[in-house]
Amino acid sequence: MSTRKPNDYKSELKPIWCPGCGDFGVLASLYRSMADMDLDPSQTVIVSGIGCSSRLPHFASTYGVHTLHGRPLPVAMGVKLANPDLTVIAVGGDGDGFAIGLGHFPHAARRNVDITYLVMDNEIYGLTKGQASPTSLFEHKAPSTPFGNPEDPLNPLALAIAAGASFVARAASFNTKALTELITQAVEHKGFSYIDAMSPCTTFNNTQDSWKEMVTDVAPEHDVTDRGQAFDLALRGGFALGILYRQERTTQTQRYRAILDKAKPSDVDTMLDGFNARKGAAIGKPS
Amino acid sequence: MSARHSVVVRLAGESGEGVISSGDLLTQAAARGGYSTQTFRTFPAEIKGGPCMYQFRLSDEPIWSHGKDVDLLVCFNQEAWDLNWDSLGAEGSILYDVTEVTIPDEYLDRARPVRMEELAKEIGGSLRAKNMVAVGAVTGVISFDTTPIEELVLRRYAHKEGVADANIAALHAGADEAADLKGRYPLVPPVEVEDDRMLISGNQAIAVGAVAAGVNYFAGYPITPASDILEWLSVRLPQTGGLTIQCEDEIASLASVIGASYAGAKAMTATSGPGLSLMGELIGYAGTAEIPVVIVDAQRGGPSTGLPTKTEQSDLNQALYGSHGEAPRVVIAPVSVEDCFYATVEAFNYAEQYQVPVLLLTDQGLATRLEVIHRPDTDAVELVQRKTSAGIAREDYKRYEYTPDSISPMGIPGEPNGMYVATGIEHNEYGHPGYTPEIHTGMQDKRLGKLEPIRGTSRVATHGEDQPEDVAFIGFGSTFGPVREAVDRLVEQGLSVGAFYPRVLGPFPADRLEAFVARAARVIVPEVNYTGQLARLIRAETGIELESVAKCDGLPFTAEAIFDLVAQEVTA
Repeated sequence: MSTRKPNDYKSELKPIWCPGCGDFGVLASLYRSMADMDLDPSQTVIVSGIGCSSRLPHFASTYGVHTLHGRPLPVAMGVKLANPDLTVIAVGGDGDGFAIGLGHFPHAARRNVDITYLVMDNEIYGLTKGQASPTSLFEHKAPSTPFGNPEDPLNPLALAIAAGASFVARAASFNTKALTELITQAVEHKGFSYIDAMSPCTTFNNTQDSWKEMVTDVAPEHDVTDRGQAFDLALRGGFALGILYRQERTTQTQRYRAILDKAKPSDVDTMLDGFNARKGAAIGKPS
Repeated sequence: MSARHSVVVRLAGESGEGVISSGDLLTQAAARGGYSTQTFRTFPAEIKGGPCMYQFRLSDEPIWSHGKDVDLLVCFNQEAWDLNWDSLGAEGSILYDVTEVTIPDEYLDRARPVRMEELAKEIGGSLRAKNMVAVGAVTGVISFDTTPIEELVLRRYAHKEGVADANIAALHAGADEAADLKGRYPLVPPVEVEDDRMLISGNQAIAVGAVAAGVNYFAGYPITPASDILEWLSVRLPQTGGLTIQCEDEIASLASVIGASYAGAKAMTATSGPGLSLMGELIGYAGTAEIPVVIVDAQRGGPSTGLPTKTEQSDLNQALYGSHGEAPRVVIAPVSVEDCFYATVEAFNYAEQYQVPVLLLTDQGLATRLEVIHRPDTDAVELVQRKTSAGIAREDYKRYEYTPDSISPMGIPGEPNGMYVATGIEHNEYGHPGYTPEIHTGMQDKRLGKLEPIRGTSRVATHGEDQPEDVAFIGFGSTFGPVREAVDRLVEQGLSVGAFYPRVLGPFPADRLEAFVARAARVIVPEVNYTGQLARLIRAETGIELESVAKCDGLPFTAEAIFDLVAQEVTA
């Protein structure tokens, strides 16, 4: 039985989001999930980038790193590799993760970095007042796309599966019960777990009502261990909520642990011996 | 011919012909034979093809530069001659491949053909041992014992049957070539061989220095000329319980280093100019979030892709000022291979003590050259630990607290009372976002002001006279070697000359520099870049008059070129 309550994870700072913002639902789900897991706040690190949603670490009373625009994933990887005992949760928005920071996403996935990445996807740049993002729909009108968005949106779920993420799920901010459970499963998953949380921007791209009508659940017969099925589901579009894909695979942490276990212990003095240039010194490996 | 104290050999040929490995082999053998060595190499930016050269200077006495006038030029092909003939000293000799090279008539009296390709084919059935014939020919001309070379060859090819034998046969065959030049440049044998000698490159000294400093996390992205550090630590760091990872780019490298340091690790990355450009934004982040990191920049010719395999000291401005806003950092430029070790330890200590990014500036010349140094004394290495939140009550803890020395306690995940959010947004003492004039002014004052003590206490490198009357040289990094040799020669001529190398360039030791040059008639600032970045820095930080000597030809200064800056005036 959990001894910590969701409120125990709230910081003294109140979120600065607009009324009705989807991120409130995500934050509430995160508090509840952390309480459900009884996570030790001092062993938990929430890492974010830049954007409305990336303010999230400031609203949680855990350790946090509010990094640069697009950089939460490599920072989170460094945190986890340096101390594998920590629970590391990276959060951010679609602009942060799929535009400026996209370069890091497939690498975190293929490495199976043992962290959770929770993206609050509103298909828009909120903090900079409504420009199109990589997940904005074709023909979406925004201040930077006055004639309608001429580009097609990125499919983050398909990308995550293709790149090797070992846990891929979709959630919605307005469905907090399911989101809470998904966050818990993602954090408890060993390896890189990715949650695409649809989180509407009520100020610049209010999709809340239409999204609420569109969401369905992932069909019960969907086999989450079948990568082909997961890929199909991701490519088909629509808003099927739930786990698309889950795979048991050795994590980055485990692989580096194996390297450490195999390494022959040494120290700086032994390493310096390898450079000896004394007359008649034992000849080290030419370097 | 009477024995000499110094000989300069240059091997030149096509990349892939074994020029670089021959130079390394001769240098390693010479070091084992008790000689001091200095090397300089250039190679093309391609893997196979394109001209490369390896120059090494040997001496029975300590030497600090790679030499200007080549005593023995070894040409593997025609282009090698065409590109390198003008490096030859007035008395210098030439060895050249008889089938590949044509030497102009006026040089023929001091040029000898070597059957590099012919003998290689005869002995090994291919051209692979061509370079060993050349190595053999060199040993003959400089009267060099081949035993240590044979030992190294045996070791290197221990797992390849027959290869070692063929190489050694080629070595011996080569030694009998150019028979009439045999013993032309005999070296004085080293009198006393100290027991603590090591042969090591700048990059290696940095890598092993990082281990001495207790590094536990290294992340990097391959880039010339810094990749050695990534490769060396990939093997060695796991042996100490640490971890090395190759990232998807330099941004991820530094970002993960920041994450690791946030979690309590001592963390480092290494790159060259282009990578440092990419890291710029994160340097500002680490400075603002006050997270200790060490960043090595092995400078190369820039801008843009520039001269990837040539040397330049043109990232000084980027190291000092790169990143938007006014971001705190410490910049250290080690002055020798030996100093690379100690400067790396200092870099970690500054990073940990001041919770700041520290940039370690070397250059292609220093990073890749092999130098005989004294073995660093690891017992004398003192390490500084960062100030943490341990022992502070939760309700009293402020991550960015204003303190008398402006250094605040850092919470490390796992520590129950140290929870905070590291952030690059302006923040108050608790790390909460805040943009008032008081907060920004106060925090900039804290972050930049905390580094001020370094200005007066950083370790500098000097040579020659303190407060010289005739000439003071001021420089940074790898120019120290040729400058100190030039200083010695000028002092021998009766001049009052000294060199002052700040080492820590930011914060800049302006007062000590001004005191050093106070009596000097001339202040000369040599540096390998176009705009004279150090000269501009000195003008900005002090009021002194100086002469900027900046060049950007991709090559290090020679001691002779530095000497001539003054000697011409003396003789005039």
